[in-house]
Amino acid sequence: MINWLARSAMVTFYPRSEQFPGIDEMPLDEYLARFKRESAPLMWAGFVLGTLFFHLTPLFTVFIPLPAFALSAATRERHAQRLSSHRIYYVRQPVFLLKMIAGLLWGADPAVRSRLGLAPYPADPGTWRRS
Amino acid sequence: MTHFAFREEDLTLEVDYVVVGSGAGGATAANELARGGATVALIEAGPWRDPEDYPSSTYGAMRDVFDDWGVGIARGRALWPIVQASCVGGTTVINCAICVRTPEDVMLQWERDLGVGNKAWRDAIWKHQDKLEVELCAEVVPPEAAGRSSLLAAKGAEAVRYDGHPMTRYVKGCVGSGQCLQGCKQLKKQSLNLQFVPEVMALGGTVLSCAPAERVLLEGRRAVGVSGRFREPVTRRKGGRYTVRARKGVVVAASVTRTAPLLMASGVKHPLLGKGFRAHPGTGVFGVYDHDVDMNVGATQGWASVQYRIEPGMKVETLSIPPEMVASRLAGAGKELVARMGDYRRMAMWVVAVRAEAVGRIKRGLLGEVSVDYSFARPDMERLRKGLALLARTHFAAGAVKVLPGIYGLPYEIGPDQVDLIENGPLDPRSYILISSHLFGGTTMDKDPTRGVCDEYGRVHGYEGLVVADASVIPTTLGVNPQHTIMALARSFADRLLDA
Ligand SMILES: Cc1cc2nc3c(=O)[nH]c(=O)nc-3n(C[C@H](O)[C@H](O)[C@H](O)COP(=O)(O)OP(=O)(O)OC[C@H]3O[C@@H](n4cnc5c(N)ncnc54)[C@H](O)[C@@H]3O)c2cc1C
Ligand code: SF4
Repeated sequence: MINWLARSAMVTFYPRSEQFPGIDEMPLDEYLARFKRESAPLMWAGFVLGTLFFHLTPLFTVFIPLPAFALSAATRERHAQRLSSHRIYYVRQPVFLLKMIAGLLWGADPAVRSRLGLAPYPADPGTWRRS
Repeated sequence: MTHFAFREEDLTLEVDYVVVGSGAGGATAANELARGGATVALIEAGPWRDPEDYPSSTYGAMRDVFDDWGVGIARGRALWPIVQASCVGGTTVINCAICVRTPEDVMLQWERDLGVGNKAWRDAIWKHQDKLEVELCAEVVPPEAAGRSSLLAAKGAEAVRYDGHPMTRYVKGCVGSGQCLQGCKQLKKQSLNLQFVPEVMALGGTVLSCAPAERVLLEGRRAVGVSGRFREPVTRRKGGRYTVRARKGVVVAASVTRTAPLLMASGVKHPLLGKGFRAHPGTGVFGVYDHDVDMNVGATQGWASVQYRIEPGMKVETLSIPPEMVASRLAGAGKELVARMGDYRRMAMWVVAVRAEAVGRIKRGLLGEVSVDYSFARPDMERLRKGLALLARTHFAAGAVKVLPGIYGLPYEIGPDQVDLIENGPLDPRSYILISSHLFGGTTMDKDPTRGVCDEYGRVHGYEGLVVADASVIPTTLGVNPQHTIMALARSFADRLLDA
């Protein structure tokens, strides 16, 4: 469930454009599973809170008493914009974390990098000296 | 040559000196002790990653080399991230290796106000820096590796009429791959996992990695060893326990945020433990040009100015960051955000690091968790605004068509006649996202045991055989990048141990 909610929020932040692919064209489910498995517990907790916060607050941004996933794509995007530029710091912050974690996938995607004139990243080996 | 990585079995060793933490301070101290003929065990919380293990993406860097995914936060009115590494070589693996000598005015202030050092002490520090520069191949960034962002900064500073210079870094033959923050796979950066740590082993020392120390063992007021437990870096599963007895002494160099809490956990008593936290928090301003800058091509950091180090108290420098970091740094969401990313190739990011007056505190919670209380006061916010305005002016002088201030409450982009918006920008820390990577204090030096935790050789007042040899001992901000100072202090402290 949380992955489904996170996916919907992340897609709102990084949609497809003429220049770039959208995050929904990237291996988002695999990324979320990996992030849950690998991230520090505090980081994952912040991400979950950010996701829930995103979905529970449209009433205060676009004045519609529905969770964000039930809004149209355009209204959800307006909600995301208003949250990320909200005048209350503790509203902006959880959304910043959500956007950052989505951005780590989107901005490192080979297709995005290629549009920016950058070679794809080699894989992160995740290895270390064992002896 | 002995290296113990994560293991299930328990381990017991006995050596002359145990050094906790293998970063700028710890690796240098361990290396000097080993060169002096002592047997040394170097204990590192993180894993040992060689260049072929280094990550490429920011996600990989956060996962593999940052301390706890970079979730350290300085909590005050705003929440600002603290970035450090956790791996063999410590933060030298992910830093930009900028090498700046300890300014004389800073050391004179230490002598005058804290009774720390004298002329001979200062000369010894600089002499160590002379040698370190040779050993670690300190080199000015070659023009062909500088990258367009640094060349533009030089041009802009000249037009605005302040001094700047290509940086000197511990890098031999930089090829400008822009990957310093993920670790240099080109083997050009002289990080200490490649330099001093292997030498410690070659000299008969032992390295324990994936081995966070849990406490310094004390017998009365004498430090006699270190104990801890191996931890698997990915799953964080706990492995065997280890105890390393130290015949002569224990050197703690676990970083500013970890050294004081480790001493607290070990039962070291001093009313100032954890106090005196200081930093150079910094943030960037993007200039957008009418041509490609490709900031990711060239040295990650290539140019700097220290002209304003003393008044108003800041350093400005170039810093290249990859698209995935820019994506979260730019304001907005959705189509608007993605359209803004279209400017990436034409962007250059330059940063101001504030030599802040603010003083904070490092705390250890009941469950052992570490937190840092730290907040900018008005004078620091004013310095920050001045620095950001200077950078914006420099961008325009270098030909930027617009500047992205990245300040909450200001327009997303401004033109050349709007720099005053930054100058008069908000004074609320919450309007800015600052990151702290230059940290100081927590066990500061002072001749007087009632005013500082350590003396001028890092020896913890009131204890025997217990020395701190990392950035925690530094009692003020420096206004310059700290690694050179930390390493020279660590060497000098190790020499004093050997002399004793
Ligand atoms: C992104 C970035 C760029 C930077 N660029 C520069 C630069 O270009 N030039 C410069 O001068 N400075 C730079 N700095 C700052 C500089 O790298 C640090 O000031 C310096 O490395 C601090 O040295 P240290 O020995 O205090 O700690 P660190 O180098 O952080 O080393 C501490 C080590 O102790 C280990 N440790 C912690 N707890 C334990 C424990 N319980 N048991 C065992 N081990 C433990 C950690 O895992 C870590 O490896 C940069 C910092 C960052 C984050
Ligand atoms: S810019 Fe590239 S080659 Fe140069 S030191 Fe950094 S990582 Fe190494």
